[in-house]
Amino acid sequence: MVQKNGSTPAGVRLRNNVHVSGNPSGRPLIFAHGFGCSQEMWRDVVPAFAADYCIVLFDHVGAGDSDLSSYDYGKYDSLHGYADDVLEVMAELDLHDAVYVGHSVSSMIGVLAATRDPARFGALALVCPSPRYTNVDDYVGGFEQSEIDGLLDALDSNYLGWSATMAPVMMGNADRPELGQELTTSFCKTDPDIASHFAHVTFLSDNRNDLGRVSTPTLILQSEHDVIAPLPVGEYVHGMISGSTFVVLPISGHCPNLSAPGLLATEIRAFLA
Amino acid sequence: MTEHRSAESRASHDEWSDTPEQRYADAPCGLLTTTPDGILTEVNDTFLRWTGYSRTSVIGTPFEQLLTVGSHVFYETRYLPVLRLAGEVRELSLTLRCAGGGTLPVLVNATTHLGPDGRPRLVRTAIFDSTQRHSLERELLVARRVAEASEARVRVLQDAGAAFGACDSEESVAAALVDCARQAFRATAAAVVLIEESGDMRLAAGDHPLLEALAGTVVRRPEADALSNGRAVTITSLQDATSRFPDVADALRATRLEALSVIPLIGGERSVGLLLCFYGRQRGFDDDVLALQAALALQAVQVFERVRLHAELENLALYDPLTGLANRKLLQHTLGAALVSAERKHTPMAVVFLDLDGFKAVNDGLGHLAGDAVLEQVADRLRAVVRGSDTVARFGGDEFVVVCEDINERDARQLADRIRLAVRRPLPGVAGSFAVTASVGIALHRPAAGAATTVADLLQAADSSMYVSKSAGKDGITVVTV
Repeated sequence: MVQKNGSTPAGVRLRNNVHVSGNPSGRPLIFAHGFGCSQEMWRDVVPAFAADYCIVLFDHVGAGDSDLSSYDYGKYDSLHGYADDVLEVMAELDLHDAVYVGHSVSSMIGVLAATRDPARFGALALVCPSPRYTNVDDYVGGFEQSEIDGLLDALDSNYLGWSATMAPVMMGNADRPELGQELTTSFCKTDPDIASHFAHVTFLSDNRNDLGRVSTPTLILQSEHDVIAPLPVGEYVHGMISGSTFVVLPISGHCPNLSAPGLLATEIRAFLA
Repeated sequence: MTEHRSAESRASHDEWSDTPEQRYADAPCGLLTTTPDGILTEVNDTFLRWTGYSRTSVIGTPFEQLLTVGSHVFYETRYLPVLRLAGEVRELSLTLRCAGGGTLPVLVNATTHLGPDGRPRLVRTAIFDSTQRHSLERELLVARRVAEASEARVRVLQDAGAAFGACDSEESVAAALVDCARQAFRATAAAVVLIEESGDMRLAAGDHPLLEALAGTVVRRPEADALSNGRAVTITSLQDATSRFPDVADALRATRLEALSVIPLIGGERSVGLLLCFYGRQRGFDDDVLALQAALALQAVQVFERVRLHAELENLALYDPLTGLANRKLLQHTLGAALVSAERKHTPMAVVFLDLDGFKAVNDGLGHLAGDAVLEQVADRLRAVVRGSDTVARFGGDEFVVVCEDINERDARQLADRIRLAVRRPLPGVAGSFAVTASVGIALHRPAAGAATTVADLLQAADSSMYVSKSAGKDGITVVTV
């Protein structure tokens, strides 16, 4: 019988390219990568937890070494489809009291998953979260609608445009053998069509109403200077998730998991202590 | 002279010399050096000339601050992660903000250089003016989008046509429509609801996440609007739903959906049903999408009509138009199936054959219309006295056959007697002064190993028994076991 990946337990691991490492008897710690990259984003953060946590890494469908044939445009047209996958991965590994660390859009994916099935979650660490990127009424998301449109255009020209086909880094293809396969072709593989769709879903979703339903202890890690998720957005998330802890990291940029992995790990450990 | 000339040549050589510094400053590309965190520490003259900045204004600022918003986001989500993980990026497309307020599209290569301790020390970046290429690329991208949009439209309708072609029932058409709609509109779920002849709505295919949540509500619903206006009703967001259909908004929220489109399936005068698409996040429905939804709906309606017409024709081919009873073709089919079932289950069955006595006199005396009325009356009486599982067929003329599965001889005789008594009752208003009775023959079949009995055998045996009753004085029953 032919079964689509995801319908069987083995399929879930394959579909999301799940990797378990660290201390098998430790508390589960699941890392979810954001838009544009893959589980490799956590490379420099993982070692700080390997001794005492059971570490779960995975790729969202469409990213990294996930199973592209499992991509369903209807399912992944909202973050709920990704949240379904997170819950399936956690069910497959039978995780309870898990610490979920989500970067960028995966913060919201974690919020959706944790409100759906709080029993599996012990803590949420949201790294540079934003529930909505566009400004509306009194809400400051950081972008005007026109800027979001321009942004999606800019993403398309890299993911779908000429330069994408010229850049083996983007495609993970090997038609430029002189670049060597060892590094450039393997990092952050992304299917261009899926990346474009994921960008639309990421930057056009509005999950502000879901924040108030979080009952899991939550840490919000805010970069001091972050154009994608600026300070007021982090403050908003903090205000909406009652009892949450808000930490502003004295850094610039949207990817502290790469630019300040040690600091990030220290803050997460302090929260969990 | 010699000295002078050599001095002159030295001077011109100096002037045209190509020192590493000059090569850097005037390179045919912008060259930048930054810290691993992206703070500019060195730039060449070409970069300054292209962007209009002064050296002092850019040294010490983060490179990303020179990018447009869109490029900045790409830089953060893609460029930096790849640069950090892979150590280099190649030919990524960014747009710089220039000093005068303009923009400059560039292609960028960057390499991270490690210090003696193995940690990133600096990043060297080369940028190439890609204005021409960029505008060409923009045109290509726009053209590609337009082409893809129209290609997608054609493909959706073609795929739908292919899927519909294989459909032979309303259910299969509905299922194909659900599949096509989910893919074409990237819908989280889709459903087809059909309107029964009674006016009831029936979920024919797909998932209707709101069905349970909305059960029992009597408030105005988008479905009713779509049907009465004959146009699609779209709900673009929860906010939109809250203001127009509050109960739907609650149901959407409860099922983690944010948008909805309801497309009526209307053919000519008749409303076939509705196609509903559910979306997991807010949606704008532009004219192209609405047009495609309407085109798909129209295509589906035509197939629904074809399938329904086909079913009607099939109905005509299997039932006697005068009495509504099974015709000979359906009788053959039903009897064959009953025979197989009896053999398999080892249960007895019976074929009851009846021919009307005195029918010719009605026809001759009162005309064919009265004869037809008698046949209709008899058909109604037969339907009334047989068991629910029996099949009554008009065999031809004034001959009828009843197929009885799972019946013993005693029950078969009782059934035949009920038939006999029902037929001989007077026919007031139809043929009141005529006596019409039935000569009945029963072929009883008890499956036995090794004996192959056919449909023709059973009909032949029942027919012969009927003739025995007829020759024995009519209005009687004869049983034969086959």
